Amino acid sequence: MLGMLGAGSSAQAAADLELGRYLATECTTCHRPGAATAAIPNIYSLAESTFAEVMKGYRDKRLANPVMQNIASRLSDDDIAALAAFFATVKAN
Amino acid sequence: MPKLTRRHFTTLAGASLASGLFAPAAIGQAKPRVIVIGGGPAGATIARYVNKESNGAVHVTLIEPQKEFTTCFFSNLYVGGYRDLQSLTHNYDKVRKEGVNVVQATAAGINPATKTVVLTTQERLPYDRLVVAPGIDLKFDSVPGYSEAASEIMPHAWKAGPQTELLVKKLNALNDGDQIVMIAPPNPYRCPPGPYERASMFAHVLKTKGHTKSKILILDPKPTFSKQALFLEGWEKHYPGMIEWQDPKMHGGIKGVDATTGEVKTDLANYKAQLVNVIPAQMAGKIARDAGLADQTGFCPIDPETMKSKSNTDIFVVGDACIPGDMPKSAFSANSQAKVAAMVIRAELTGARAFPARYSNTCWSLIETDENVKVGGAYEPGEGKIKASSTFVSQKDEAPELRAQNYKESTDWYASIVADMFG
Ligand SMILES: Cc1cc2nc3c(=O)[nH]c(=O)nc-3n(C[C@H](O)[C@H](O)[C@H](O)COP(=O)(O)OP(=O)(O)OC[C@H]3O[C@@H](n4cnc5c(N)ncnc54)[C@H](O)[C@@H]3O)c2cc1C
Ligand code: HEC
Repeated sequence: MLGMLGAGSSAQAAADLELGRYLATECTTCHRPGAATAAIPNIYSLAESTFAEVMKGYRDKRLANPVMQNIASRLSDDDIAALAAFFATVKAN
Repeated sequence: MPKLTRRHFTTLAGASLASGLFAPAAIGQAKPRVIVIGGGPAGATIARYVNKESNGAVHVTLIEPQKEFTTCFFSNLYVGGYRDLQSLTHNYDKVRKEGVNVVQATAAGINPATKTVVLTTQERLPYDRLVVAPGIDLKFDSVPGYSEAASEIMPHAWKAGPQTELLVKKLNALNDGDQIVMIAPPNPYRCPPGPYERASMFAHVLKTKGHTKSKILILDPKPTFSKQALFLEGWEKHYPGMIEWQDPKMHGGIKGVDATTGEVKTDLANYKAQLVNVIPAQMAGKIARDAGLADQTGFCPIDPETMKSKSNTDIFVVGDACIPGDMPKSAFSANSQAKVAAMVIRAELTGARAFPARYSNTCWSLIETDENVKVGGAYEPGEGKIKASSTFVSQKDEAPELRAQNYKESTDWYASIVADMFG
């Protein structure tokens, strides 16, 4: 899966963290904090730029998994930026 | 008129907040009170999310009679021998530790006029917002001759726990040549692929034991079923000749069962089976029906933007008890609906920001070891219901690695959703 690619991008300032927090409630049904499991990878503390790139990959169907394609299909660029910022900063509890 | 976009919605919600529509309900009083009836995927998720996300600004009470909750989801894997029941059983200790007032009790009634819930102990609990999440009740009499007493001989196992244990005990006691009959439920019911995943697990156990002379007959009141092409493909591949599925045209109608003799009658034939699994028709849990929240279907209409009952704006109905539009009744759906309800409750009680409702679901089904298929969708309010905006389903003839990967996804999902529900 993806490695951590350093600090967040400059888009961070514009991202809507509160929106990210709400949208992220959809993700936690499958992605649990701190778990580096085999089939559903950890998405906490990923670099924002990488996170956004991957999400767009699923949205454009360049990345194959139908579950994530379906999840990403309705996310706007702003939604993705908000999610990326949220998961990069959130403290897994 | 221009269509409302997501951005507009957010602005509108902001506007109504300013105009008082979403204004905190209990300013100047003690903390606003939320009561949640039912600690399943719907109720436990809401209790945790309102409590956590409001940082203690809302007093959350969760009413649930069971000390421990055994999940129906993955109970078919227990039937197939892939999981034990203990691994599917969870308690409320962490939910309690996080600050939710978990009350081990049964709600006996709701008084919407005084905004109180009455417990079977006669204790009265006041609420500002109420969540009704009692899951389903079974309509035992939807199958002539069936009853709660008969279910001690012909288990339904559609509520997890002792019923599931009884089913497994009977399954494991079968000899080669013994017959299984399953009566599948009519729509709508919890977990649309569930009966067919269960039949697959029966077949897996019989095959593993070398019981090649045994057969499984499914009598279905429906002409089609969920993931049908995928199940039929899987059965043909792994259990050729073992599972027979009959639609109403083939059996002519299910006439009834006799628990004392093990007989099952259809319009066209009589069967005698050593294991009969009757999954009757279903309706919303009693407390929801008694409170007048259900319509003639037996389930509760909701507003798709908020998960509020159509008949009372202080009451939310979430999970299997509601009419979820295009969503199936599943733990995944219940958990997804819970997050929308929790968001709306916080907006109303604490002035937190409101966002447009979004829902999603994925259901994985195990057919044989490493042979798992999935179906899912994304949903939003539309046409007055929760409407599918995109869906997907596994394809026939997929690579075995993909099917094995699906199984791994499903076990990761199980660990995540129970952590999301119970902490
Ligand atoms: C065999 C089987 C397999 C399944 N597999 C899957 C799967 O793979 N994936 C999936 O997503 N879903 C699956 N499901 C469906 C899933 O189990 C249900 O959709 C889910 O449990 C619904 O959650 P709920 O919270 O609405 O109701 P429930 O889980 O039924 O919880 C309701 C709770 O309310 C409590 N309650 C009821 N009345 C009262 C009252 N008066 N006072 C207080 N408490 C009350 C009950 O004790 C119960 O704990 C499966 C179901 C079955 C039967
Ligand atoms: C139904 C379960 C499910 C849900 C819900 C879900 N995901 Fe995923 N996610 C997966 C699976 C499965 C994968 C692995 C896909 C693959 O193999 O390409 C994945 C992979 C990812 C990855 C790639 C991580 C990496 O290291 O490659 C990201 C990022 C991600 N998900 C983000 C999200 C976000 C954000 C949400 C919520 C908006 C979300 N997911 C909701 C199942 C889910």
